[in-house]
Amino acid sequence: MPNSSSIGTMTVFDIVVIGSGPAGTTTARYAAEKGLSVLMVDKKQELGAPIQCSGAVSFNALDNAGVFPSPEFIQEAIYGFAIYNGQGQKKVIDYRKIKPGEYGSEAGAKPLGFVVDRRRFDRYLATQAERAGVTIWLKTEALGYRVLDDGSCEVALKKFNDTITVKAKVVVGADGVQSQVGKWAGIKTHIKLSELASCLQFVVDGVQTEGLLEIVTGHEWAPGGYAWVFPKGHGYAEIGLGVTRTMCTDNAQVYLDKFLKQSFFKERFKNCRILEIQGGGVPLAAPLKIQHADNLILVGDAARHVNSITGGGIHTALSSGKIAGNFLAALLLSGEPCTKENLKGYHNNWLNAMGNNMWKLYEVKRKIFDTADIAQRDEQLYATMSNYFSVDSEYKKI
Amino acid sequence: MMSTKDPVVFEVEWNACIKCGACVAVCPQEAGFTSSFDTIAVNKACDIACMFCQTVCPVNAITHQTLFSTEAAVF
Ligand SMILES: Cc1cc2nc3c(=O)[nH]c(=O)nc-3n(C[C@H](O)[C@H](O)[C@H](O)COP(=O)(O)OP(=O)(O)OC[C@H]3O[C@@H](n4cnc5c(N)ncnc54)[C@H](O)[C@@H]3O)c2cc1C
Ligand code: SF4
Repeated sequence: MPNSSSIGTMTVFDIVVIGSGPAGTTTARYAAEKGLSVLMVDKKQELGAPIQCSGAVSFNALDNAGVFPSPEFIQEAIYGFAIYNGQGQKKVIDYRKIKPGEYGSEAGAKPLGFVVDRRRFDRYLATQAERAGVTIWLKTEALGYRVLDDGSCEVALKKFNDTITVKAKVVVGADGVQSQVGKWAGIKTHIKLSELASCLQFVVDGVQTEGLLEIVTGHEWAPGGYAWVFPKGHGYAEIGLGVTRTMCTDNAQVYLDKFLKQSFFKERFKNCRILEIQGGGVPLAAPLKIQHADNLILVGDAARHVNSITGGGIHTALSSGKIAGNFLAALLLSGEPCTKENLKGYHNNWLNAMGNNMWKLYEVKRKIFDTADIAQRDEQLYATMSNYFSVDSEYKKI
Repeated sequence: MMSTKDPVVFEVEWNACIKCGACVAVCPQEAGFTSSFDTIAVNKACDIACMFCQTVCPVNAITHQTLFSTEAAVF
């Protein structure tokens, strides 16, 4: 198992990963599996909490990143989608009916995806990383980094109440939507108000679901975003929405209240009881044009690796983490320094594997939300969402 | 970013805040304009005063006071 070493009193690692979400844990695991010494820090005391996510992720996303779909984190299996327009007309894409035998709950068939509990999911991913040799420090906030003359860098950390410095060849900013790590290197990471979906969701009891992710489009319910009803296991459901604040007059809370009480689902929601409140920001933004600097790269939400049509970022965080971990392992094992120039290879690998497609998705999203006529925009979003999740979708590979 | 607006001091109502980080994500300030609770800074004056944080907050947890009109309260 690779270990840190010490120079004087300073601890030295090959890689310091900041953030232990899907992006950080995956980057750390792939790098450690290749034999590098990796420290992953998170300021949280409990992984995945507070929850800022609905937890929908495809079977393929887990499979591609070597994550076994464990009952430890799965809350409910998903078999398809129901996409609604603002008036309640729906398109159901149920893979149990489209490809019977292949998708389903019976023996030999598999689910299309899952709703996961992010507390347990993030902990599971961290355990995988830890078993691959990653050192994990919780209650450890990264405060800044400094490039050193010898081609490495040092990272200032606050671990519980102690301020310490560790030395590394490269720092990975996997610090999520509120990323500060990029700013340390002068990368502009703040997200435009017009490109951040402001989201709120309730975990509820008393709302029936059918193994489908339900997506409700329409300016009336969620301007610049959509509303959702996801199965949450044990008879629970998630009801939530994301709105673009520059496209509406009120905040997400007002819209969620309206969705519960006034939408075509109001009868269905009549007896729902709210058990948990969660929220967050989803960057429906272009990926960062620059995701690297000397001794530093950004991965996941921090680099805005989010699907700007669906707002999904778990799949893309896992995939980018794998690309980043493998790239850094190859670079460091080659003995080449982690200069900005050399780290561009990470960005190029990411563009080829998924980034170019993410840029295309962003353009599709932008075109829809730039449409001034609301009826037209609603129609486009409904059509695009329906198309996105269909079996023969042109976006399938993204 | 240049702004001709008066500097403001934000206040986050701790119990209303769901600690989602959206306010920090849209903040155009330099690194470190965050409180220890993953929200926008509450102990420093903001001279940009774009109000993005206050607008994006899903639960209206953020309010502000204009610095010059509240000097007595701030210092
Ligand atoms: C309401 C909502 C619903 C969503 N639903 C879905 C969904 O159903 N499916 C889906 O695929 N995606 C969904 N997303 C998006 C998804 O949650 C994110 O894209 C995903 O979590 C990004 O992973 P990440 O690893 O990049 O960052 P995160 O999971 O955000 O992890 C970042 C970590 O970095 C840590 N950190 C930050 N700064 C520091 C620091 N200075 N020092 C130490 N640690 C630090 C944080 O504590 C955090 O643990 C949703 C998002 C929201 C807001
Ligand atoms: S946007 Fe509002 S709810 Fe979210 S962290 Fe900031 S103050 Fe709290």
